[in-house]
Amino acid sequence: MQRPKPLPTEVLSDLAVSAATKLQRLRHLGRYFKQSSKAMEQQVSRDARFYGSLIRLQQNWKVKRQRVAAMGPGSEGFSFDLLDNSFVDLTALSRPSSISTVRVDHHYSGILSIQRPQKLCRFISLRFIGADPSCKQKSISRKKIYSLAEHHRAAKTEALTDEEVNECVKDTHSILCEIHQSTFEEQVFDMVNHETYNPLPGISVTGMREDFLQLAIGQETSVCLWLVPSGKEDGPQMVDPKGDSQNGESGLLNSDSMDLAIVGDDQHDFFKMNLSGMPNPVSLEIYLLFIFHENVLARARERRSCATRAQVPGEPADGSCGVLGHFCMTVAHRIFSNKVLSELESLVNGVPYLQLLSHPTWHSRTSSWSLFLKFPQSVLHAGRRSKISDNHHLKHGMRSQFHTKVVVKDDQINVSGEGAPSIICSFRGSSDDICSLNSFGCDLEDLPMILLQQVASQVIRWLHEEALVVGMKASRDFLCLYFGLDHGDTLGLVAHVDPDDVNGCISWWVVMDDGSAEGKNLTYYGESESRRFLGHLSLEALYATVMDLASLCSIGGIH
Amino acid sequence: MSKAGASGAGSGPTAAAAAAAAQKQKALLQRVDTDVANIVDNFNLLINVARVTDPPIRNSQEAFQMDMRAARMVQAADSLLKLVSELKQNAIFSGFASLNENVDRRIEVFKQLEESTERLLEKIGEEAAASLKELETHYYSSVLRTCQHD
Repeated sequence: MQRPKPLPTEVLSDLAVSAATKLQRLRHLGRYFKQSSKAMEQQVSRDARFYGSLIRLQQNWKVKRQRVAAMGPGSEGFSFDLLDNSFVDLTALSRPSSISTVRVDHHYSGILSIQRPQKLCRFISLRFIGADPSCKQKSISRKKIYSLAEHHRAAKTEALTDEEVNECVKDTHSILCEIHQSTFEEQVFDMVNHETYNPLPGISVTGMREDFLQLAIGQETSVCLWLVPSGKEDGPQMVDPKGDSQNGESGLLNSDSMDLAIVGDDQHDFFKMNLSGMPNPVSLEIYLLFIFHENVLARARERRSCATRAQVPGEPADGSCGVLGHFCMTVAHRIFSNKVLSELESLVNGVPYLQLLSHPTWHSRTSSWSLFLKFPQSVLHAGRRSKISDNHHLKHGMRSQFHTKVVVKDDQINVSGEGAPSIICSFRGSSDDICSLNSFGCDLEDLPMILLQQVASQVIRWLHEEALVVGMKASRDFLCLYFGLDHGDTLGLVAHVDPDDVNGCISWWVVMDDGSAEGKNLTYYGESESRRFLGHLSLEALYATVMDLASLCSIGGIH
Repeated sequence: MSKAGASGAGSGPTAAAAAAAAQKQKALLQRVDTDVANIVDNFNLLINVARVTDPPIRNSQEAFQMDMRAARMVQAADSLLKLVSELKQNAIFSGFASLNENVDRRIEVFKQLEESTERLLEKIGEEAAASLKELETHYYSSVLRTCQHD
């Protein structure tokens, strides 16, 4: 039995069926290849996006590859290491920062994103006890500004433009900056904590928790340092005394310190002091970070290069009190210098011809001002007699202006100025040394009185010189100017200083006696025949008064 | 990054690292060869299977073979892509010379930034001091001050 030979048409038909089947198969394969090709192109572009972003971020950040066994080749085990090596030895005793390693996520769209740490970024916040929270000016709202855009971009899987990828890299960079700053500030906080273990003179720790430190500087000032989580716009709040007492992991010293650390409602009024003279807490935060940064970097540089140690700006030269001690002394100085400035301003308000000039010292624990007394040209002898040269004035020691410098170093006030007699010169009675430069320390209570005496004596000196120029027989004492009259009588122009006088701090009296009356007692004695109150005279009026007295004395002298 | 210690020390570790790198390079090249050969072979076989046979037999078997060859080609291509990713990673993490160069460059840039910032701060401070002086002088010679005491 032989199979019948197929007809050509049948052969062709079979062939056509077979070819059509193959064609269908090949078309199917073509679709498969196209799909695979498209997927691979997407994969290539995703890789290009991811590794491009990674390379760009690597320019600024240390990228680590974690070799985890569970992760296959190509799988991402990348992380950013934000811990600065220069802090390593200093932070050995402190806790390791939990957010210093940031894991990298490879989004399926090729976007590089980072896993934000579970714990929020925390930043140092400084506040004085009793300060109004509204005075806090730091913009904590800088955080969490990227999360929204991140989600939007993550939702877009395809068709990401270069600009969007660029923005994403910038956002990631910003977040890393924020975390890095937070890490640094946490380290600074730890270093501050660590420094409090060493006793510092004048500084005591009155409260300590995991993220809280309260320091008492001197008798009056208390400073709190917090680590504030990001996003808390209102900053740290006062905690209820009973509320947080069972916080076991907080590193709390003991319950006593806790009670001291927390300001309850009953104590709040006690701390409601006048805080207008307090320095700006934000600038102090910046300064605290600055000095620790400089100090740590200086040590790191010294360790690396073993070179001579560079003097760090703002660091104490002797280094005895440490960085924290220096900071606390800076805080104390700023508060004290504000008080001094307040005194000086009220003094200048009380003396119309006095000017207050500030002299920035560029040192955190030194402040300087000067009180400037300038005699107006209208009443100045030199102004009217231009033929007298400046050399003449210099030769005769005539001055048209006086400076009294007030320098505050830490809590020490030093006053130096010309034109006022010193105590020794006053005793000696010689006028030669009277114009030498005086320099002496004083405390805040005596400062207004000392300065007023200094200024009044400068005015007396000027009047004395003017009187001598017009040919009067005049002599001067500390705050008195005497004119000689007939029969040995003397006419005295006496300055009376009173810092609390609302009408003016320097007033003037005319005394017709031997000049033994002291300015202090004038008000108690009141006016009499031999004493007359002239009032709070301006320099012009004083000059006119002296000229009147000159004419009076000359008349008296002639007759 | 993880090889920094190995490559930076004396000759022993350096030699070991060089040997490991050579080994890795060899393995990578081998993988490339394998994948490319895989693609070419499977493509050849695919072409062979694509021929219309006479008589038409074993349709389902041929279809299965074509699918399998195509899948192997795609798999080999994917493997090549992964290899490219690995190469990129190596380029990122093992280019110590360029990394160090970049770090040095960044240090230089930051130093310049620090200097310019310090200069700027000094300038701001001087300007603030000058402005303060000017304002104080202006205030004490102003009508406000003189009228205050009249």
